[in-house]
Amino acid sequence: MKKNFSEMLTLNSLKIGYASGSHENVLLPPLNACANKGELIAVIGRNGIGKSTLLRTLTGLQPSLGGEIFYSGKNIRDYSRMDLAQKVGYISTEIVKVSNMSVYDLVALGRFPHTNWMGKIDTKNHEVIMDAIEKTAMSAFCNRFVSELSDGERQRAMIARILAQDTGIMVMDEPTAFLDIGSKYEILHLMHLLSQNSDKTIIFSTHDLHMAISQSDKIWLILDNRLMEGAPEDLMIEGAFDHLFDSSSVQFNSENGTFSFRSEEKGRIFIEGDEIRRHWTEKAINRAGFSLSEVKTIPYIIIPSGNNREWKLTTDISSVEFRSIYELVSFLSKEDILSI
Amino acid sequence: MKTENQIETAHVLSSGKQQKLFFAGLLFLVVCFLILDIFLGSVSIKASDVIKAIFTNTESNFETIILKFRLPKAITALTVGIALSLSGLQMQTVFRNPMAGPDVLGISSGASLGVAFVILGFSANISPDSLKGLGNWILVAASWIGAGAVMILIMFISSRVKDIMTILILGIMLSSGISAIVIIMQYFSNETMLKAYVIWTMGSLGNLTSSQLNVLLICVSVGVLLSLFSAKMLNALLLGENYAGSIGLNVRLARIVIFACTSIMAGSVTAFCGPIGFIGIAVPHIARILFKTSDHKILIPGTILTGGAVMLASDIISQLPGSDSVLPVNAVTSLIGIPVVIWVILRNRKYSGLF
Repeated sequence: MKKNFSEMLTLNSLKIGYASGSHENVLLPPLNACANKGELIAVIGRNGIGKSTLLRTLTGLQPSLGGEIFYSGKNIRDYSRMDLAQKVGYISTEIVKVSNMSVYDLVALGRFPHTNWMGKIDTKNHEVIMDAIEKTAMSAFCNRFVSELSDGERQRAMIARILAQDTGIMVMDEPTAFLDIGSKYEILHLMHLLSQNSDKTIIFSTHDLHMAISQSDKIWLILDNRLMEGAPEDLMIEGAFDHLFDSSSVQFNSENGTFSFRSEEKGRIFIEGDEIRRHWTEKAINRAGFSLSEVKTIPYIIIPSGNNREWKLTTDISSVEFRSIYELVSFLSKEDILSI
Repeated sequence: MKTENQIETAHVLSSGKQQKLFFAGLLFLVVCFLILDIFLGSVSIKASDVIKAIFTNTESNFETIILKFRLPKAITALTVGIALSLSGLQMQTVFRNPMAGPDVLGISSGASLGVAFVILGFSANISPDSLKGLGNWILVAASWIGAGAVMILIMFISSRVKDIMTILILGIMLSSGISAIVIIMQYFSNETMLKAYVIWTMGSLGNLTSSQLNVLLICVSVGVLLSLFSAKMLNALLLGENYAGSIGLNVRLARIVIFACTSIMAGSVTAFCGPIGFIGIAVPHIARILFKTSDHKILIPGTILTGGAVMLASDIISQLPGSDSVLPVNAVTSLIGIPVVIWVILRNRKYSGLF
């Protein structure tokens, strides 16, 4: 997939926050970032740092307190509300609760900046709406009421609405926050497809770091003192994600992009056996406070293979068999096997 | 005529046929009730005499009753029904509150306060009877201002408080507060002014002079026209202000247009006919049940027709056909409206949907 690297959105020393009277409450130091066409960008930061405020400021729903936002090289201040609505679409965390509103009607609202004063849906508008519904796989739900949809279906309908709005940029505030794990990946997959195939620039906030790292083209990492941007891998190499955690008990594993709790190491165990079972057994002993030994020393575990269906733990003094990882870990947690 | 255009332009879903059927049925009902309202009354007149009175110039007593009393009253009922229902629909969408309506949130009380100022306050040098010509417009304008002021106040409250029930309770408090002010004004006013005001509060469709009816018709026509302009804005506002803004609506402008529209319609009706309850809150829900849509391109004409039909029916019932006594129309509209409102409250407990 060849991407056109034209710059869609640029933030130039942007100051975000709230102004009440003459008092300005600036949330973050001036932000600099950019977004190119067709990029899937994850906005990451701790709760309350100003992710939502940033996204609302980008969509023009909230005035910035300084600096500039450029859409396709033109300052956001020079756009009328209608023109801006054709540049950027928005999905908030607010759950839409309107009964008697069909999915079609909801998606049709996305045509707002494109219809006449009456909001007339002519053939062309109808086609765009149906196309958006199709792209989000909501065709079967076209005449269903929004209030009857599941969380995942409703979110797909909301994405169809923003698609119908026909904006180059889509801003989504925690689009997967309240979804179950299946819908979560479905929505993420849809966002991925839209950025890949329809050249949409999607900027979304999320708390799911693992998901953001594995799927997004770029991450805007909001820290207390700056915004770091780059491919997930770039940020990983720089160790940027460590800044997300104040506490020293959680550590980020730069190798595979996962987190673990730092705990005192109880000892090393060697594991012998095939790939998958060894992988999960390793995870389990990690949780119990042990790490993997590279060379075959005592204690060691022989994992099930062939006729042997049991995990066999051999220590200095004894050899114990377990029917499941659960039993093995229970034993490891309780017994102080290394000091025996 | 406008309603038919609306049907044409509304996008047709699978339920489109059913919606057209409902429009036709409602239009038929409105025409039937309009005719019935003219034919039935506390004085029984033969159908042939009614037709004669309308189409020929006989100068009989019947003609006076029909042309000077029943016809204007039927037109007033139709107008009042349309105006109150439409303003109720607009308020429910703008506040995103199924319990909003001119009488519930204190809009009618606000209008009453405006009227009280005119009748009890400023007209100290003028007798209440002299409220003709320009007087009508002063009365209406005072009513608009009162209604508009309460609307803005409620909007301010609901931007801070999100809970529907809390806003409702605050609306009731507001109404009570305004009533208290009116009572104080009544206490300090003289007997003639007091009488004029008390008669006004009883509410009536039949007491309008022809010049008052003209003013009412002009105001409501303006309101209906504005509301046709507001259909697109109202649709956008269904999703809340954030989404409405993000799809390109100028929320502040939309609010001004819709509030002006609501205040003009509810205010004018209240100024001339007194506070008429439950039409504004109940009719939009009936229209939603019938048309099963949230699209205001359909709901607005639907509400216009339903409101006209319900108000005409209320007027017919209030005349107790066959007897020579007349019920206050307010009592009839309440009895029709309250079950609908109770239904909406009960349904809302079950579903989390706002409308």
